Amino acid sequence: MFASKRLGKMKEHTPPGISIAKSDNLEEWQMDIKVLDNNPLYKDQTYRLKFSFSNKYPIEPPEVQFIELPVSSDTPRPIPMHPHIYSNGIICLDLLSSSGWSPVQTCESVCMSIQSMLTANSRNERPPGDSEFVAYNRRRIRDIPFVYEDDNV
Amino acid sequence: MAEPFDIPDSTDWLNTPLLLLAPLENSLRCQICKDFFDNPVLTSCSHTFCSLCIRRCLSNEGRCPTCRLQDQELKLRRNWIVQELVEQFQNAREPMLSLARKEAARLTNGGDDIQQPAPKKRRVGFLDQDEEAEAADPGSQRMRTRSRGVKVEVAMQEEEPEVIEDSQDDDEDFVPEDGLFSCPLGCGRRMKEAVMFTHLDVCTGQKAPSPAKPATFGSLQPQRHATQNFIDPPERLPAINYSLLKDGQLKKKFRELGIPDWGSRALLQRRHTEWMNLWNANCDSRNPKPKRELLNELKIWEKTQGGAQTPFASAADEITRKDFDREKWSSSHDDDFKRLIANARKKSDAQIRSTIPGALAASEDNVPAPAGPIEIPMGNGDPVVIDSDGP
Repeated sequence: MFASKRLGKMKEHTPPGISIAKSDNLEEWQMDIKVLDNNPLYKDQTYRLKFSFSNKYPIEPPEVQFIELPVSSDTPRPIPMHPHIYSNGIICLDLLSSSGWSPVQTCESVCMSIQSMLTANSRNERPPGDSEFVAYNRRRIRDIPFVYEDDNV
Repeated sequence: MAEPFDIPDSTDWLNTPLLLLAPLENSLRCQICKDFFDNPVLTSCSHTFCSLCIRRCLSNEGRCPTCRLQDQELKLRRNWIVQELVEQFQNAREPMLSLARKEAARLTNGGDDIQQPAPKKRRVGFLDQDEEAEAADPGSQRMRTRSRGVKVEVAMQEEEPEVIEDSQDDDEDFVPEDGLFSCPLGCGRRMKEAVMFTHLDVCTGQKAPSPAKPATFGSLQPQRHATQNFIDPPERLPAINYSLLKDGQLKKKFRELGIPDWGSRALLQRRHTEWMNLWNANCDSRNPKPKRELLNELKIWEKTQGGAQTPFASAADEITRKDFDREKWSSSHDDDFKRLIANARKKSDAQIRSTIPGALAASEDNVPAPAGPIEIPMGNGDPVVIDSDGP
């Protein structure tokens, strides 16, 4: 109950292209997001985001990453192609890091930022060093020392 | 989607004819905790938050969460008008919402025949709400005047003469019959005639009871909180430069403050910061809570974020324990294992059929040699072998 107030809640009133896939507990939520314009990279696709809230939320950021559901399932969810999204779903976005996070952000606003990050992208590629990162990274997302090289994507 | 519990929030208005109240309610809520402002304070960049919320943020980062300008706890100032707005809105919320929902239901049913009973119910709701509000908060005189004001309106609608008499107690001119006089300079305090002259010497005419004059504030307190235990107006706790204190000195400080002094140094620092935030936020309150309530809140913090928190049921720890129940573990994670295996199969298929030659080449270059198969116990006891370079 202590934490319940703290998770920005949306119920049925979510922004366009964003819907709640799973929110049966207060530690982990899953959201489905769609890119609304005609960007050929993401057209007609739905992606699944996993939010893990620590008990310091909203002072500390939630862990947010894309998760993959197999094509064979009822709701296939791939990992979107983006120069800041690793193929294991980890997202390199400064507002999700401890320094870029602000407690006024909500689940909704994070989804919208990621939505616009996808919309603005035209490069069909993974971050440099993707395969090493995916193979070797065993750290928690918040401990990864990302370098935010460019702000224009 | 099944909602496990119903929490009021601004989206409650969206399906009613009063949907314009949603943004209004949103602006009466703290952007950090998303609840109604609780002891709102103003930052030096003019943003308003709950006192406790912004104190926790500032002790964590030292910046305003909205505009990221640097700020200090010392510069926070109380925002009484916002507090009052929130209180009045909360009083009116329930009756307004039930009325709005009835209206929405009526509009969807399309029937005008129930128009008659609906407003009546609202009046009843208003009165109930007022009585509840008075019962719940017998403290502030201003509150009572306001709710009487509401009553007056209702009463006039119902044309009940004995309640109309209340209307002589107009919002501003209402004087409770307690033999006290209100300050003519408009600071809102009420006191005995004898105290008035000394008060006028120091009165600034401003509403906020300054913590610098605890005596005046205190003399008011028993009358304002007729049903509450009177406590001295608390003094703010200063920040401690932890690096200047040795462990022993720090613990002595904790004993003086009356808070638990066990745990590592890092934990002690975090606990003191939390206590300072709780305490100082309480100083911003118009009705400060007694210390034992704050100590309870510190206990909750200790359980959820401090030293007594149950460590995350770390899977690794559980597995390495001697009495680890393999059967139970594998049956409860059966679905997960199956999904992982399906994923791994699909992924290796996809890698072969990948349509992006660049990505394929890169991944093949860098994929480490498989470190040997891993056995995962399945629910039925048969070991399943998968390659370790799966996802």
